[in-house]
Amino acid sequence: MAKRGSTAVVVCSSAFTTLGRAQASALGNPTLPIAVIPHPFGNRTGQEVRQIAEQCLRDIVALTGAGAAIES
Amino acid sequence: MSRDAPAGAVLFEAPDDIEAINALYRDRRWSDGLPVIPPTLERVERMLRHTRRRRHDVVARIAPGYGAATVQHIAINAVLAGCAPECLPVVIAAVEAVAAPEFNLQGIQATTNPVAVWVIVNGPAAARVAVNATHNCLGQGAWANATIGRAVRLCLQNIGGALPGEMDRATHGQPGKYTFCCAENEAANPWDPLHVERGHARERSTVTLVGAEGTMNMNTHCKDADDLLRVIAETMMHPASNEYCHGGEPWLVLAPEHADILRQAGYTKASIKQRLWALSRMPARRMSDKDLLRVRASRSVELGDIKPDTLLPIAPQPDDIWFIVAGGPGTHSVYVPGFGNSRAATREIPDTH
Repeated sequence: MAKRGSTAVVVCSSAFTTLGRAQASALGNPTLPIAVIPHPFGNRTGQEVRQIAEQCLRDIVALTGAGAAIES
Repeated sequence: MSRDAPAGAVLFEAPDDIEAINALYRDRRWSDGLPVIPPTLERVERMLRHTRRRRHDVVARIAPGYGAATVQHIAINAVLAGCAPECLPVVIAAVEAVAAPEFNLQGIQATTNPVAVWVIVNGPAAARVAVNATHNCLGQGAWANATIGRAVRLCLQNIGGALPGEMDRATHGQPGKYTFCCAENEAANPWDPLHVERGHARERSTVTLVGAEGTMNMNTHCKDADDLLRVIAETMMHPASNEYCHGGEPWLVLAPEHADILRQAGYTKASIKQRLWALSRMPARRMSDKDLLRVRASRSVELGDIKPDTLLPIAPQPDDIWFIVAGGPGTHSVYVPGFGNSRAATREIPDTH
């Protein structure tokens, strides 16, 4: 998607960021934004998932600079 | 000190000392943890004499790093692994097979699952390079078995970039990730050998690559064919299974003695697969709640509404169950669970002489 000109972000758990970074480089996009969430994810309560999701959304906004678009 | 070698590889000068060279390989993480044979120019050239392919031909791009597996790169890893040069065509065919889209090497290399790459050799090449199909064929001792499987793993690691703890995310891995290679015992197979079943001429040689999650021995003295298949099917049935979760491609290694029992009872390959598929269907309630959510996410299109009483088939169709006949005397067959998200790939081994 990034290569096609769309804004693209990968959401990746903390245990897999090494893989994510390495693959982004291998596929020719070393600066691909990666939003990191804590690992493991599957044993979280609903409340914890909501908190993680809200933080992840703030991270995505910061990584993509979408905050300015939203405000305007 | 390094300098550029013929395109793609890097030539290092190192002391002519096996321990120093292995220390270099250990520090650079270019080995699987076992000592290597230094890939000197002379050894690589000797290896390359056993293929007609040009050294800079790209055989495949190896996930997850998508490095280019040229014929020369494969030859280097074959030297590292200790392959006899006549094994090179087998290793090249195996590298070609792992890059098949249906094999899903990307998933296999990066997963937390313990997926080894099992190399099955069929046809005249098996005897020509002495790949063991009988006693201890999945164990140590046969040079070709040990080194062909090892060479494939070194290619996946050194060219594909899947280093443990980095791009290779395997939680435990398994011993088969060092090497996992055998031939089919075609002489003891009462039906068509695997490569013929998969569409190749009997006189051709092939490798079939399987994403294998381990081996489960089945020591059964059962002499009744129907009951033998029931016992095998019940062994395959287990709740913490990628195959049941996604609809997989389970494999079996049938002992010659078990194959003979089935043949004498009139079973064909197709009827064996049909019966195993039917008998290995597992009630969905045996899955944990969390795993059942994953099953529903993966298989609702295939199976519709999945309730606790729904019988989950291990594979979408009976024909998705595969087996070879291999091993020596004994009442042991082997269940080889697959990754669930991979399908085996077969490629021909070209004649080189």
